[in-house]
Amino acid sequence: MDVHSSHRPPPRMTEAFEHPAGSIAARKAGGATQWRGKLLHIHVAPSASYEMEERHEAECVAGRGIVGDRYYEGTGTYSPKPDVREVTLIEQEALDALSRNDPPLQAGAIALEPRDHRRNLTVTGVPLNHLVGRRFRVGEVILRGGRLNFPCKYLEELLGLPVFLPLYNRSGLNCGIERGGIIRPGDVIELLDQ
Amino acid sequence: MTARLIMKLRVEKMRYTTPDVLHLQLVHPLRPTLPEWSAGAHVDLRMPDGRVRQYSLCGDPEDGSRYEIAIKREATGRGGSIWAHENIREGSEVHISAPRNNLPLSVEGERYILIAGGIGITPLLSMARSLRRWGKDFTLHHCARSASEAPLLAELEAICGPSLQCWYSGTGPRFDPAAIGPYHENTHVYICGPQRLLDAVQSALSAWPEDHVHSEVFQMTVDENFKPEPFEATVASTGQRFLVPADRSLLDVLRENDYAMPSSCEMGLCGSCECGYRDGVVLHRDKVLPTSRRQDRLMLCVSRARVSVTLDL
Repeated sequence: MDVHSSHRPPPRMTEAFEHPAGSIAARKAGGATQWRGKLLHIHVAPSASYEMEERHEAECVAGRGIVGDRYYEGTGTYSPKPDVREVTLIEQEALDALSRNDPPLQAGAIALEPRDHRRNLTVTGVPLNHLVGRRFRVGEVILRGGRLNFPCKYLEELLGLPVFLPLYNRSGLNCGIERGGIIRPGDVIELLDQ
Repeated sequence: MTARLIMKLRVEKMRYTTPDVLHLQLVHPLRPTLPEWSAGAHVDLRMPDGRVRQYSLCGDPEDGSRYEIAIKREATGRGGSIWAHENIREGSEVHISAPRNNLPLSVEGERYILIAGGIGITPLLSMARSLRRWGKDFTLHHCARSASEAPLLAELEAICGPSLQCWYSGTGPRFDPAAIGPYHENTHVYICGPQRLLDAVQSALSAWPEDHVHSEVFQMTVDENFKPEPFEATVASTGQRFLVPADRSLLDVLRENDYAMPSSCEMGLCGSCECGYRDGVVLHRDKVLPTSRRQDRLMLCVSRARVSVTLDL
């Protein structure tokens, strides 16, 4: 079944470095530079509230998103509000911390699987909170960090898990796509010069 | 309105339980277990054009590997069941939401009376499974035209045994709600079926405590005095103007014009299609919005306007 409308106009996006957070950070030096990370998983959802689906390869389109994802299609929960949502990333290290209940904010550990957190890319070894206003590459694709992702109550409702508080400040990064291309799990992630 | 995950499930088994009722078993192609549910819960079935219909789960709440639903072909319905009958086959992919329960089964009762009319049997079948498991005393009244038109009869007989009482209007006496009698302590009644059955049972049980008589409304209470009139809707962000004819909803017209609007019940009950508006006299007609929010919010599925309205889209 096709859940997409073929003749919907492309969604409106905010350019990452024009976002208030990205534009300020892009003019300031600092942040971690000596790191080299890896892409672990790619997930997309065809429409708002649909389960995320794993991809072993995905096409990133500059200025728009990942082909087949709800924010590429303009069918996401937040699509009506223009923002930086072409690609979202989250750190595997944050998910690992949740699975240890670290810090112990909840009654117990939370297993938040890569297919459940609703960000597109699960990465490891990448200090996402340092990448607002920065350019970095995932394989051949160049991303621009626009703003930190913020946990939403909507995710809690969908999953039935109390993830809002434990994801606070490590909910990932919303990015724009500067140069499109194909990404695959295993791709190297590296900081680029401004 | 709680957000619910939508899954692409596979029809593992499909059969006709009566000539016009399709019984489906749905599994997740990638996950061994589906989101948990309890007796009385329903799921949303999403059609490719964005329409959504609710179906009660009729399987075993303890079986996490599959969902079971039964869909009656309603020739005069809103088109959802006809789509399902014509398009769903074994192996098909169907888009199903995680379950929600608006008709939860009380665990505290000692005795239960379940009353089903036709396809209304679906949530009550799952309740019968739970009551049997809990060792509770219950009677299930199943009203249908005949045995061959009684959905899920074989399952009911197997689960309920002598607790099942069938009432076939074509050949015998109809179910008489007056026979339930006065309220007994710790007895709960669950009703699911057409509005006239609900009305008959509720009036027969008018002296019962309200919290012991449970039913689910999947149908908008018809206001016979309401006569829909056409009006004009303006989209605030683009200035587009659409005429909403008397026989179409705002939701219909927006969808026809490529606005992908969320919706679920399309009867003003669930709140999924809530939308802001700026000016215009709105005839709300929904059953979810509190008065305090009606000055700038409406429900696209049932709300209408006098002459014109500007939508915050």
